Amino acid sequence: MAATAGRSGDRGFRYSLVAPSIVILLLIGVFPLVYLLVVSFQGITMMETDTSFHGLLNYRLLFSDARLWQSLLHTIVFTVVALPIELGLGLAMAQLFIDRLPGRQVFVALLVLPVVVSPIVAGATWSLMFDNRFGPVNEIIGWIAGKEMPLLWTVKPDLVYVAILVAEIWQWTPFMFLLLLAALSRVDRSQLEAAQIDGAGYWRTFFRIVLPAIWPVMAVAILIRGLDLFRLFDIVWALTKGGPGTMTETISIFTYVKGFQQFETSYTAAVALLIIVLLSVLVLTALRRVSLSR
Amino acid sequence: MSDLKISGLHKYYGALHVVKGIDLDIPAGEFTVLVGQSGCGKSTLLRTIAGLEVADKGAIEIGGQRVNDLAPRDRDIAMVFQNYALYPYMTVFDNIAFGLRARKTPKSEIGPKVAAAAKMLGIDHLLERFPRQLSGGQLQRVAIGRAVVRNARLYLFDEPLSNLDAQLRDEMRGEIKRLHQELGKTMIYVTHDQIEAMTMADRIVLLREGVIEQQGAPLDLYERPATRYVAGFLGSPSMNFIPAGVVANGAAISVRLGDGTSLPVPAERAVGLGTWQGKPLMLGVRPEHIGPAGRDQRPGLAPVQAVVDLVQPTGSRSYATFQLGGVAAVAELQAHDVSRPGERLELSIDMNRTVLIDAATEKVISS
Amino acid sequence: MNVRTRSALKLGLRYAIAIAITLFFLFPIYWLFMISFKTADEIYAYPPVWWPSTLQFGSYAVLFRDGDADTVWNSLVVSGVSTVLAMFFGTICAYSLARFRTGGDHLANWIISQRMVPPIAIVFPVFLLYVWLKLVDTYAGMILLYTAFNLPYVIWMMRGYVLDIPVALEESALVDGCSRWAVIWKVVFPMCRAGLFATAIFTFVFAWNDFIFALVLTRTEVTTYTVQVTHYFGGQSNFWSKISAMSVLGTLPIFVIVGFMQRYLVRGISLGAVKG
Repeated sequence: MAATAGRSGDRGFRYSLVAPSIVILLLIGVFPLVYLLVVSFQGITMMETDTSFHGLLNYRLLFSDARLWQSLLHTIVFTVVALPIELGLGLAMAQLFIDRLPGRQVFVALLVLPVVVSPIVAGATWSLMFDNRFGPVNEIIGWIAGKEMPLLWTVKPDLVYVAILVAEIWQWTPFMFLLLLAALSRVDRSQLEAAQIDGAGYWRTFFRIVLPAIWPVMAVAILIRGLDLFRLFDIVWALTKGGPGTMTETISIFTYVKGFQQFETSYTAAVALLIIVLLSVLVLTALRRVSLSR
Repeated sequence: MSDLKISGLHKYYGALHVVKGIDLDIPAGEFTVLVGQSGCGKSTLLRTIAGLEVADKGAIEIGGQRVNDLAPRDRDIAMVFQNYALYPYMTVFDNIAFGLRARKTPKSEIGPKVAAAAKMLGIDHLLERFPRQLSGGQLQRVAIGRAVVRNARLYLFDEPLSNLDAQLRDEMRGEIKRLHQELGKTMIYVTHDQIEAMTMADRIVLLREGVIEQQGAPLDLYERPATRYVAGFLGSPSMNFIPAGVVANGAAISVRLGDGTSLPVPAERAVGLGTWQGKPLMLGVRPEHIGPAGRDQRPGLAPVQAVVDLVQPTGSRSYATFQLGGVAAVAELQAHDVSRPGERLELSIDMNRTVLIDAATEKVISS
Repeated sequence: MNVRTRSALKLGLRYAIAIAITLFFLFPIYWLFMISFKTADEIYAYPPVWWPSTLQFGSYAVLFRDGDADTVWNSLVVSGVSTVLAMFFGTICAYSLARFRTGGDHLANWIISQRMVPPIAIVFPVFLLYVWLKLVDTYAGMILLYTAFNLPYVIWMMRGYVLDIPVALEESALVDGCSRWAVIWKVVFPMCRAGLFATAIFTFVFAWNDFIFALVLTRTEVTTYTVQVTHYFGGQSNFWSKISAMSVLGTLPIFVIVGFMQRYLVRGISLGAVKG
């Protein structure tokens, strides 16, 4: 229940509490957006500071920029491959740990470590792991294959996606695991017991009782990870910088390259706005379906 | 002199009209109980007095001063909350001292004041403990201690006993009443429990849907309810209501029930009832006013035949349910007056104690 | 086979799987950390050396000698100060949103949606703004940006913790003589102490682990450790010991902190959707 609303002094009080935060968010969140919009209608590049009005020129360029749409496609590929795998593995791990397992606390404490490692460090870690000659991955594959396997993980087109996905899945599967473990531990045990007494089998119980019970948490986990994957940058940057060529370039890396290496300022502004619009649509539809608040 | 005066008070939550024009005048030193079902506006009324809600219309005066625009801390009130509202990170001592410190009471006075309040409530040995180490009854005492240490003009209690089990509740009722006698302060107590209201109040204010249904001394309300609602709300088991009409036969008036049973009304209570002939009424009979026929021979006892449907012994008394005038009625009998369902009993209704209610307006026309 | 041996076998099997999984998730970290303690010969040995023969601290000595380790200090300053600011402003804002429903659901949703904008889309215009304001490569600029970036998270999380506080505690304090501000200091902050602490840790970790903002907005003065790690990337694999040692300096503190935070971890990373 909302307490004590309405006295005039309180009104001032409650707005004074939100004011500093709103000012900061407007300064860093909204003002730049407006600025983006302005710049995107101009023609600023490394060569010239052309602030005249170019109309929709930059937006027209967007549509004919194959590299942009490819980077968007790469991002989507990473997302649709990594997300289900992380979710599935995380769920399987959570199922493994949900029943009584002495020492579970220790396992969980160790398993969370990848999540809190900086993604750029995670990327660096896997670039060391995947080194063709001195890395342990090729060594282990060599054992299995029975011969030396000097695979060029970060260079060969057919291997780079695997390398990036392994690093990504390694870092974030424990995230799914943690959330789903917490959700599973909150499934009403009496419902499970009732299902058992009613003679429902494992899968039936899982799909009819467990899954609906953990779905809200699962939805939030998917939302959070989906948004993270959409802005995938660090791990790819550490492993391939978007290469070979532009093969693994994500939308974030593309934007970075355009804005900070090629200095196509106005065009980058248009790209950034495109990303924001795309994501806002995504977030708004997702938020409507997922109840993050209560 | 009145300590609290409320006039024309209205309170809305958005479109919901919760308090609909309340006038109340509470003399200094009185123990007033605001009682009613949940949603009747009693808690809202109390919170508005405290300043935790803002009055939308009307005036609230405490000690002769209009307080509508004062913050809670400037109203000279102390309040005990339903869930104790103790600070878990403070000891009992610090909890009780919280209000004194907030009001910048000199340090030298805080210790003795807290000690005195704790002693009065029998929690002086718990002062160093934390709330999580206390039982429900002890928590309640600390919560009360935090209010009484303050020496406020007005003490407000918002259903303070509703979290306690039945036995503790009985004990704390007595405790709070004793406290009122010792302190002599004006206290306003909100509850949905009619037993708390009956046992503790100097005056009951019975609220219904945001208006005062009736107010007065507990026994006044019990014996002379103004409406069917009041009659049914107070007393447990609840009063029986039986559809009825009045029949005049010369000067003699009797109540006729749906099944033809005729119950003669004593002459001194029949005055003016003649005009209600032919109108639908309700006869209100409390269970304790139905007894075995023939045990005593006072005038005004009307015999009825009963076939017992259900027996509920409580130890000292037994409640027998039977059909009366087409509806189920409960009689409160001596434990051994009734033994099993199906039993035929000769009962009598004490017509001196019944009420007649106008079925159309639900107002009591004779009590 | 009776029921007891079967369940013992099952438990044994589950242990085996659990250990295998844990090894898979820990080994890369082990590998990363170990490289910093190896000799150059061990790092570039073929086949790889799984256990270093001795623990070498030379890689760290080099980082401290050359001043590279200062970047950890930079990380600490910008993360620490921005965490304090974001926590203070965010918590009072969260309190207002939770208690008075200030701005209704719209304001709360707008704030959380700010969190979801991709950093690259924020950092580009912020960079242009900072060039103009001369805030590029300054502590002030980084602190402001991290504060702003973390505010939505703090507000969102603390709003949840404030909603968990029984209103009666605050009302009781109001009646007992506290002003509105005193209620925040004396009731709200102590009541959500654990939540404040947990949220602050996560806020700190987000800033600490950030790469993209620091990459764009720092040059030489306030380079953070994440950017410093990438300075060793490139063709020359002889920088491996530095990558490793720098990563350990940046990662170990986080591991230690998170070790103490287990209880709040789930609520923290799920944006409060799951109460741990």
